[in-house]
Amino acid sequence: MRNILKLGLFLCIVAGIAGLSISYVNGITYPIIQEQIEKEKLASFQEVYPGTGEVKDESNTYLGGNSDSILTEVNVVYQENNPVGVIYMAEPVGYSGVIQLLVGMDIAKKEITAIKVLSQTETPGLGTNAQKSFFTDRYKGKSAESVLEVVTKEPVGDNQILAITSATITSKAVTEGVNAARQHFLDNFIE
Amino acid sequence: MNLFQEFSKGIVRENPLFRLVLGMCPALAITTSVNNALGMGVAFTSVLIASNIVISALRKLIPDSIRIPCYIVIIASFVTVTEMVMHAYLPDLFESLGIFIPLIVVNCIILGRAEAFANKNSIIPSFVDGIGMGIGYTLALTIVATIREVLGAGTFLGYPVMSASAQSALIMILPPGAFLTLGCTLAFINMMQNRKAKKSSDFKVRITEQQVAQPFSSN
Amino acid sequence: MREMILIIISAVLINNIVLSQFLGVCPFLGVSKKLSSAIGMGAAVIFVLTLSSLITWVVQIFVLDKLGIGYLQTIAFILVIAALVQFVEMVMKKNTPDLYKALGVYLPLITTNCAVLGVAIINIQKSYTFMQTLANSIGNGIGFTLALIIFAGIRERLEEADVPMSLNGLPIALITAALMSISFLGFTGLL
Repeated sequence: MRNILKLGLFLCIVAGIAGLSISYVNGITYPIIQEQIEKEKLASFQEVYPGTGEVKDESNTYLGGNSDSILTEVNVVYQENNPVGVIYMAEPVGYSGVIQLLVGMDIAKKEITAIKVLSQTETPGLGTNAQKSFFTDRYKGKSAESVLEVVTKEPVGDNQILAITSATITSKAVTEGVNAARQHFLDNFIE
Repeated sequence: MNLFQEFSKGIVRENPLFRLVLGMCPALAITTSVNNALGMGVAFTSVLIASNIVISALRKLIPDSIRIPCYIVIIASFVTVTEMVMHAYLPDLFESLGIFIPLIVVNCIILGRAEAFANKNSIIPSFVDGIGMGIGYTLALTIVATIREVLGAGTFLGYPVMSASAQSALIMILPPGAFLTLGCTLAFINMMQNRKAKKSSDFKVRITEQQVAQPFSSN
Repeated sequence: MREMILIIISAVLINNIVLSQFLGVCPFLGVSKKLSSAIGMGAAVIFVLTLSSLITWVVQIFVLDKLGIGYLQTIAFILVIAALVQFVEMVMKKNTPDLYKALGVYLPLITTNCAVLGVAIINIQKSYTFMQTLANSIGNGIGFTLALIIFAGIRERLEEADVPMSLNGLPIALITAALMSISFLGFTGLL
């Protein structure tokens, strides 16, 4: 019995020292990690909405209680207290999992400024092409007023998006996310 | 003990992945690019060296009956520290290795080295053993990843190496490619081994023949 | 309910834990020479995986997160799993000796099975609820068992086949796993 107590105590001491040293390292790295995440977020916001301004997370105002939507974040860009742009985060389901993407909208021009795929688990070499600029550029400057549709042949209409070869489902999923953002934008920010 | 031997055994003779066939999970999962393989190798090596040193330093202190839980705690702490440092300074690599960084804890190589080597040897040999095993594992990961990245994506470390017209074999960077590459690599090593064994046994036969023949010729 | 079934199907077929996520490859290759031992190992993994995922979920939500020491996750989880396996072994030995006889030898192997720790961490990373955690861990346990049993069935046949000398043993097993993995690729896009 005494032996078990002694062993238990030893194990506790080892675990205690381990815990203390980990929390020491955590104290050093935690602020750096947070800063990194913040910086990365701002950088990707900048990518989808190139204009300057103050970004405020207003997801609670616009999405509060509505958990069915594939939109997960609404960030509004303000210039001198006037909203000038909106950055949406959407999470549509692709070919093999959730695709997380950002959609930037310009209020004055009523158009999509740019989109960016943040994370995905699509087929390497096919669906993963959705991250590349040759595909995301196809959404740039599209009007917010008409529903975007995916086509597999050279697009004829202004609201048509050419799908990635062999990754139509992924292309459709991304477009679904953009359309959800577009619809929300029309309903809430355009009079 | 010859220190150089301790160092070199992990690289060829007792290569953790190719000869001992340990640590398969990360070898299959993260070898989609050479970059990931090198990152994993460095993370793994640093945990292995650190845990080898600490365990060998404490080997007289740790009671025998609870040594395994103690080893696990020590290894898990180093893994957590490595994870935090990578998250802070190499966020991209951290992102692409994902869950396989915390899973270094259950990598059988590290616990195996603690139990088989660090537990019985003093600090310096354990340190050297850690470096050798770590480099051996990193090398093995890099070989697998090179085959997969070149064939599957047509790139090496992200730079294109195949001609633009060559269609890359996507399957190599998909999950089946991992099993296929590792299987073929192990088969290739077996083949070399068999050939070497055959050669040396041929050689032996010749020697014995000569030895048998010698008494007659000398007479 | 529908969501839980989707999680289970996705874990068993689409993102099979062994064949596409590469967790638990060591026991997959080690305990697949005989069909009977594969079934025993599979049952032990389903049991321990589910139990440990639920316990680690509770530990994370009610202890680590409450105390703000989420960074101790890895160390806490591995200790919980190791202790749990010991405990299950003891209880089984005492109360259900028959079951212990069937599964006992596989239990110690499970502590270092990365599938158990891996699924526990994934559940937290995906911020699953308690019920989703339950579904995901059962699904992953079944997925592991399914892959293991199919693989063992093939390997039993391989024993009698005439395999080239260099491929004998592990290389041919890995190539077999590659073919299985290709066939499981067919399930992507199911949902």
